[in-house]
Amino acid sequence: MLAHQQAVFRFAYLLLGDPDDAEDIAQETFLRAWKYLKRFDPSRPLRPWLLSIASNLASNKRRSAGRYLSAITRAFRTEPPPTTIEEKNVEQNQANTLWQAVKTLDFTDQQIIYLRYFLEIPVNETAQALNIAEGTVKSRLNRALEKLRKTIKQDFPLLSEGRKA
Amino acid sequence: MNEFEKQLIEIAKGMDYPSTPDVAGFVSERLRPAKSPRFISKTWAWSLTIVLILLSSLMLIPPARAAILEFIQIGIVRIFPQPIEPTAEPTQTIAPITGTPISSLPFLETIAGKTTLEDAQEQVTYPILLPTYPADIGEPDYVFVQNADGNMTILVWLDPQNSESVLMSLHFVPDGSWAIEKVRPTTLEETTVNGVRAIWAVGPYPLRFTNGDLDFTRIVHGNVLIWADGTITYRLETNMSLEEAIQIAESLQNP
Repeated sequence: MLAHQQAVFRFAYLLLGDPDDAEDIAQETFLRAWKYLKRFDPSRPLRPWLLSIASNLASNKRRSAGRYLSAITRAFRTEPPPTTIEEKNVEQNQANTLWQAVKTLDFTDQQIIYLRYFLEIPVNETAQALNIAEGTVKSRLNRALEKLRKTIKQDFPLLSEGRKA
Repeated sequence: MNEFEKQLIEIAKGMDYPSTPDVAGFVSERLRPAKSPRFISKTWAWSLTIVLILLSSLMLIPPARAAILEFIQIGIVRIFPQPIEPTAEPTQTIAPITGTPISSLPFLETIAGKTTLEDAQEQVTYPILLPTYPADIGEPDYVFVQNADGNMTILVWLDPQNSESVLMSLHFVPDGSWAIEKVRPTTLEETTVNGVRAIWAVGPYPLRFTNGDLDFTRIVHGNVLIWADGTITYRLETNMSLEEAIQIAESLQNP
């Protein structure tokens, strides 16, 4: 559990953007994993299964809150990312800006980008976490990356310039 | 991995995550049988409170007490046919999909899991059937796949006469997905789809979705035809007549 709690918590945090919600999801993920342990194939890695549970729980949570808040969220998405008074280093600001850009994508695109590039989960484990074939991971990634590239170019040009620098 | 992907990984390394809480400690505590949980999360507390308030308020009303004991089950949909006093209002309401008097499009954009028909079929293990009635119905205008314990698919067709309103929506809810409870519809009629028992519910009525974590309610202003076939429960929401709804249901085919 200790080995995977960080990945599960961070994945939930990326998907939901709120540390309290992410903690709830992480706790519930492990409780569910325990409850349904008999369904788990021990010959397969545990991490993708946990991430899959976390993903479903986060999706449900977003759905319940999202129906009420998505309009507001979208409105915020069109605004530039918030600036903070406290100084953050360049890397953190760039990462946060990238996160804001990814948040504008569909939930399925967000999932796959967070798994592959933020959490650096290998393709085979990403496929297991999302219950899709490895080939589908690659095709979905291509589509998601294309959208992200356009979003960055259009709405987050500073990130694009930062990368070139 | 191309250059763009490498750059994404590099940038993402700078992500400032909150410190990881002691999830293992909490779960170990929860799983210890002799002790009661030392902490109930906000989500659990709210869900529990809502359920308790709902149940206790329903139990105070005599007709509701009867309704809780008798229900109709179609697939995973559970329907409580007894009328309940209006004091037991749903805990939360959101806008309807069907029959909304305002433009439907903004609402549709807020539904999670928007995707294409092709991608939806990749995501789910059951065939996404499409109606061949009415003859000019074509493919849905909106497709959503939502992750619960199973993947639920929702197809939405806009009204060709008024593209701002919804003609009908068709839900595919697999076993193991959400339990759906339709509470106190005003009119219920038993019918059949392809010879299988089906229920025709005339709205408006509250509709509760529960999956163990969530418990939210919405009002559907349209009529709903519910039937099951194997492991899939179908819900057809429309303002059309029962006869037309059955024709649509019976026309579903693998495209």
